[in-house]
Amino acid sequence: MDLQSFGQSMAHVDLGAGDVEIRPAPDEWVRKFIGARGLGVRYVLEAGPDVEALSPENLLCFVNGPLTGSETSMSGRWACVTKSPLTGTVTDSHQGGWAGARLRWAGLDGIIVSGRADSPVYLFVEDGKIELRDASEVWGKGIHETVAFFQKRYGKKNLSVNAIGPAGETLCRFAAWLNEDDRAFGRGGTAAVGGSKNLKAIVIRAGTQKSRDVDADAWKKVRRQALDRIRDEKNITSPKKGGLSVYGTNVLMNVTNSIGALGTRNSQLTSFGERAEAISGEYVEQNILVGDPTCHACPVACKKEVEIKQGPWKGLHMESVEYEPAWALGANCDNDDIASVAKMIDQCNDLGMDPIELGNALSMYMEASEKGWVEGNGLAWGDTLAMIAMTDAIARREGEGDLLAEGPARAAEQLGHPEIAMACKGQAVPAYDPRGLKGMGLGYATSNRGACHLRAYVAAAELGVIDVEVDPLEWQGKGELVKVFQDLHAFSDSLDLCKFSAFAEGADEYAAQYAVARGEPFTADDVMLAGERIYNLERYYNNLAGFGEGSDTLPARFTREASTQAGSKGHVSELDQMLGEYYSVRGWKDAVVPEDKLRQLEIP
Amino acid sequence: MRVNFYATLRTAVGQKTVELSLPDGSSAQALAHEIARRWPALADRVVDAEGGISRRVHFMLGGRNIRWLPEGAATKLAATDVIDVFPPTAGG
Repeated sequence: MDLQSFGQSMAHVDLGAGDVEIRPAPDEWVRKFIGARGLGVRYVLEAGPDVEALSPENLLCFVNGPLTGSETSMSGRWACVTKSPLTGTVTDSHQGGWAGARLRWAGLDGIIVSGRADSPVYLFVEDGKIELRDASEVWGKGIHETVAFFQKRYGKKNLSVNAIGPAGETLCRFAAWLNEDDRAFGRGGTAAVGGSKNLKAIVIRAGTQKSRDVDADAWKKVRRQALDRIRDEKNITSPKKGGLSVYGTNVLMNVTNSIGALGTRNSQLTSFGERAEAISGEYVEQNILVGDPTCHACPVACKKEVEIKQGPWKGLHMESVEYEPAWALGANCDNDDIASVAKMIDQCNDLGMDPIELGNALSMYMEASEKGWVEGNGLAWGDTLAMIAMTDAIARREGEGDLLAEGPARAAEQLGHPEIAMACKGQAVPAYDPRGLKGMGLGYATSNRGACHLRAYVAAAELGVIDVEVDPLEWQGKGELVKVFQDLHAFSDSLDLCKFSAFAEGADEYAAQYAVARGEPFTADDVMLAGERIYNLERYYNNLAGFGEGSDTLPARFTREASTQAGSKGHVSELDQMLGEYYSVRGWKDAVVPEDKLRQLEIP
Repeated sequence: MRVNFYATLRTAVGQKTVELSLPDGSSAQALAHEIARRWPALADRVVDAEGGISRRVHFMLGGRNIRWLPEGAATKLAATDVIDVFPPTAGG
């Protein structure tokens, strides 16, 4: 494959007309917005910020980064970018696995989907060509069955199947795409956009290809430098030695619990106490772990494959028990049964849903049920059988599930109690309580896609994982820190490298690899400038879509109800103070990008 | 005092919880040296070249990393204290 020609082969698919055209992205867009996340946002802007998310006019963009599928470590990522039916913001979500790499090896850099097909279709990609084919045989099927269907039709070798499940078809607002059974475009409801377009799957067949058009020696050198950082035993990415590699992301459960930053019972508490151990990475590793799968070009292997050995789900074999869903469906729902957590994650993988949003929808409904605010049967804390039944009902929009399929923010609003939805801009919070990790709270509030831990992973500094180390309970200085993380991640999401690369690499490593791949000079300062430009482009889109001053908020529970548990006891999030700092370093007027900032950054 | 080990440190120690007998009022730094003495394989992970607490380990007392407490590594520990000991951990 040719690295330096990235952006020349963008497939434009009009589902309504049945047309496919392959043409280059504008050179200026690639220069300014790099690829994947940044380039995708620029495309989505073309449909206009007022577009209805579930209308044919919304664009659904699957975009590789310039490093996707290359020999670079942790480069098995691609982005899905669209206007979110959950938040009304622009959103991007990223998958691991091999689908993005195979798209590159098949000769395409991205797929821009518009319109709505008259009947269910899938896209088949091979040898630089893309075709619309009939998907009526798999419409209504779960993702596991859909993957098996296409593997039978096209063979397993070199095949990636990226599909939506029943939740996408019923337009559940937090429906997710999954490839190879378990790697998700998880957040923001991108699969509902697929469902609204009658697009069931993208099937890609392509064998491995090597980069041909780079300075081989320079390419080897910069990749080696990055790999050495990843392998360094002092970094958590170190294969088979670092905590992320040995235990996966769920290595976090016990530490956030210890410091009072593990939201429990819909974030009414900040610790799960002794019960956290039962849903932790340490417990999984000792009791149910059976494998360590990985993604394209990744030596870390953070995915954790498990098998349930007893109880009602005995024999369930699935991946991956991650920290986020283990928290959302565990502590957050007062559930310490890891087998049921694995079962519900697998349901999400099959039905095609975001388990973070699901866990928050369930916990919100549990609190509402406890307080007598629901009309149906309600849901009791930690009732795993009822949670599993409700998960299925949500995906199919049956009974009370129809309400919760709207997401916790809309559902709580309909129940008359929006205050019990733990969400920012309509998207539910992840697994870091803002009272115990202050910078993460600011990151949630200022994220351009709604509450998100991956826009600014300040926890790396607040938990002392990288060289920059800060007190998690101190609010001062977090404004500038959040901006740096947001800009750096906006760039790496556009390359598209795994977010976890930032535990070992920084702007220098990103710049060196991108410079060789593009065949042009590129510095660490250029990395931060491009990241800032992409972050401001997203904010510009959101401003035009109606998110103005006062739109960067946290649920009042985090700013008014002090933590009562060790580590964060007595603390709330000092959001207003942090926002003042943040807007100052951003050069924004409140939550709005001013004209002079747009001009300075050459936006759009 | 009771010391709970997590993640890769637990693997090295062989169990989650260990009772260590240190004089009342011992410092967190003294605890680090005791851990290094009991489990030599962990020595360079808990004690740095200058004899201080390594940056590759986090001691949590009452949920607070002792690094952020006013006396830092000199923080005095009581015999009844429970200390959680973590290697660097993150993910997401």
